[in-house]
Amino acid sequence: MALNILVVDDSSVMRAIIIKTLHLSQLPMGEVHEAANGQEALKVIDGNWIDLALVDINMPVMDGEEMINRLRQNPATSDLPIIIVSTEGSESRKEVLMRKGARFVHKPFTPETLRDAILRTLGGLDEQKAGDGTI
Amino acid sequence: MSKKLETELYKAATLTFEELGFLLPTPEIDEQQLNAQVEAAVSVDFDGPFAGKLLVRLCGGLLPIIAANMLGEEDAPSKSLQYDALGEIANVICGNMLPGIAGSEDVFHVSAPKMAESTDLPPVAEVQVGLGLGRADLLLFVSRYPALAEE
Repeated sequence: MALNILVVDDSSVMRAIIIKTLHLSQLPMGEVHEAANGQEALKVIDGNWIDLALVDINMPVMDGEEMINRLRQNPATSDLPIIIVSTEGSESRKEVLMRKGARFVHKPFTPETLRDAILRTLGGLDEQKAGDGTI
Repeated sequence: MSKKLETELYKAATLTFEELGFLLPTPEIDEQQLNAQVEAAVSVDFDGPFAGKLLVRLCGGLLPIIAANMLGEEDAPSKSLQYDALGEIANVICGNMLPGIAGSEDVFHVSAPKMAESTDLPPVAEVQVGLGLGRADLLLFVSRYPALAEE
């Protein structure tokens, strides 16, 4: 099954890096959508089938935490797999986000770290084989 | 200047330039790197238990090289993308530096990068990183809780 993926980051360069990494990861890629903030992302999700969202935290207009809160409150998107790709260093904030079902990849990341996080999030990689850099 | 702040700033900067910009920092800064002219500067503001600004200046023709490296392209991307790349570098350095200074429990909000703005404050930490034929200058300003500089 091809995966439709949404990449949400206010940096166009970071979105490009993530998308390039996705294409190198040998995952079955379908459509890749981009959004520069949480508000744009919610509109994309409203109009498209998305299998996985990769989300930054600190963004203008609507940050990633608020976006995740809104997704979890909506029955149609409450189970959407989410990976946070961020420099966030606060363990307490990370725990709050993980309790909402999100996995965490710390910037800067290697392509392998991001690929493994995606595989684990989608159930394709044993948790015990986790590399470093993700939670 | 605080040694601890400079150590954390240098660690975050070298990690980011290596892993995101694919440029290996040189162990020492030679004369050519030291004399390299400033080509671009961005800053990011942060707010949390203490507030401030991190300013990152690139010198010596590094901006197109770093941007191309980040994007995995042979040729330099547009100027707009080059500045976006430098902004992301500053953002990642700042995000990795703050837990080293404040610990891993405190929450900080890091604002979007912008073209560097001048400030009347003196930096509480300033480091230089040698990169190829140029260098990066990093200056940390703290606008609240200036006692941090004494640590």
